[in-house]
Amino acid sequence: MTRYILGRLASLLFVLLAVSIITFSLMRAVPGGPFDEGKQRLPEAAKANILRKYGLDQPVWKQYLKYMWNALHFDFGIPYQVPTTTVTALIAQTWFVTAQVGLMTIGLSYSLGLAMGLIAAYYQNSWIDSLVTFVAMLGTTIPNFVVALWLLLLFSVRLKWLPMGGWGEEQNRFFFGLLSKDWIMPVVAYSLRPFSTVARYTRASVVDAIYADYVRTARAKGLGERAVLLRHVLKNALIPMVTVLGPDIPNLLTGSIFIEATFRIPGLGKYFWTSTFNRDYPMIMALALLIALLWSVTYLFTDVVYTWADPRIRFGEAEGA
Amino acid sequence: MMGTVDLVSAQDVHYRQRTLWGDAVRRFFRNRLAVLGLIIVLFFLFLAIFADLIAPYPYDKMHLDKTLRFPFTDPEFLLGTDEIGRDYLSRLIYGARTSMTVGLSVQAIAFIIGVPLGAIAGLRGGMADFAVMRLVDIMTAFPGLLLAIMLVAVWGGGMWKVIAILGFTSWVGITRITRAQLLSLREKEYVEAARCVGANGVRIVVRHLLPNALTPLLVALSFGIPGAIFGEAGLSFMGIGINDPVASWGKMVGISSAYVRVYWHLAFFPTVLIALTMLGFSFVGDGLRDALDPRLIE
Repeated sequence: MTRYILGRLASLLFVLLAVSIITFSLMRAVPGGPFDEGKQRLPEAAKANILRKYGLDQPVWKQYLKYMWNALHFDFGIPYQVPTTTVTALIAQTWFVTAQVGLMTIGLSYSLGLAMGLIAAYYQNSWIDSLVTFVAMLGTTIPNFVVALWLLLLFSVRLKWLPMGGWGEEQNRFFFGLLSKDWIMPVVAYSLRPFSTVARYTRASVVDAIYADYVRTARAKGLGERAVLLRHVLKNALIPMVTVLGPDIPNLLTGSIFIEATFRIPGLGKYFWTSTFNRDYPMIMALALLIALLWSVTYLFTDVVYTWADPRIRFGEAEGA
Repeated sequence: MMGTVDLVSAQDVHYRQRTLWGDAVRRFFRNRLAVLGLIIVLFFLFLAIFADLIAPYPYDKMHLDKTLRFPFTDPEFLLGTDEIGRDYLSRLIYGARTSMTVGLSVQAIAFIIGVPLGAIAGLRGGMADFAVMRLVDIMTAFPGLLLAIMLVAVWGGGMWKVIAILGFTSWVGITRITRAQLLSLREKEYVEAARCVGANGVRIVVRHLLPNALTPLLVALSFGIPGAIFGEAGLSFMGIGINDPVASWGKMVGISSAYVRVYWHLAFFPTVLIALTMLGFSFVGDGLRDALDPRLIE
């Protein structure tokens, strides 16, 4: 077990190193740089000064080594777009917004998906089963920006119930200022896909579990229907879902560029976007490393949780799979 | 009299010999959703191929005196016009061509990269396997769309660059499937048998291993095409995919968000088409998976 985790950690470090090298060289692969003059030309000396200040006059490999050295000391530099703050502070600030969307999405979609999947499986082949299956099918296929625009057309343009976009505006608060109308459409649009995945997998694994021997035993010994469903069916049905739902969490927490663009949410996705196109090297590097780290850690975590939740799985055997 | 009947039924028996593919086709066409999906896909393919003949106007013809017409108000422009007076119906039809071209070409590239890498990893094992799998690890840690955005930022947009970039970012799944398939198939008895009768490595791979690995790859292909169409629509939606004046549904949606308060049709029609295409392909994918999975045979 320890050996397995150590091996996985080594490969995680390797992946981070590779991602940093690829991102670093990609961003510098084309001529030009973040401080190219637009309309106004800078004097040569001033330009050289700026480049020296940000260390851009050095050879690329030296810049890379310097960046990595600083990164190892948790110094990720200063974003070129907002020089008054640090990359860490800017990411923390924007991620707060994205994580809000992500957490609400996870809360809404996982609980609703679990409930609807369970109901659909319990009333198998009824109209409610067909309805859940149908919505889940739509949700897994239709892109979120399409859903977002439909919501926008219906609830903002047509019915004028909800604001067109923005995030945390004062006038859109309701319920003692705890909730905001700004949150509704992005979270619903973003939730549809994870909801569908959860509902689909819950339904499938509950249908499998419902006919299992231990469920019959539980019924035979006189347990109530609720106890059978929650303690025996659902508990066992959830285990295989760990591998499906786990990897989706970093995805949801880092947000969707499309949702953030459609609803004008100042989150991580927006900054990934502006940083890429403004050649904000320190921001891009930090974002790429953050995303790669999140993904790799989640995959590792999922595998470990899976083994812990289902003692029948042993690591030696899992290797080949 | 009896004799002829016997002869016919004997022939019938001969013709009704069931094959894997024959069974699969039969199962596929028995699935109503799959057939509906196939009809949708064929319809868009038809639009894509014959766009020049069907579309009332060329996709880039501007009518600067007739911009932003609403749909169903002007018989000249059935679905209205966009912000620079281009016929929306024509652009929607040409958008099908963009989507289909991107979807198919991207998957072709993904297969050209993915299958050989997976085959090398699965068959050679050892160092080759290790190297390929570490490459897969790196690509997995980097969400495809973000890498694609970075590549577009570096390299620029346009139809062929978008295809190349999306192809380059979507081979990982194919490699995984190929490798896993070959790892399990190469231990099968018929491979041993082929080796016994003296078949060489290339023949075993081409004649025995790849055809048997084809089923999951085909399913991956049918889900990969809508994935690529989504990728293109997404990049174009953000304004960095297909360049003007080429029509792309994603781009039409993206541009429309500036006009969405009044000119609802600009957003509505392309989103419906994107959704329909994705649904069509995924129905076909589901149908193929069910039809090709021999474990499902009752």
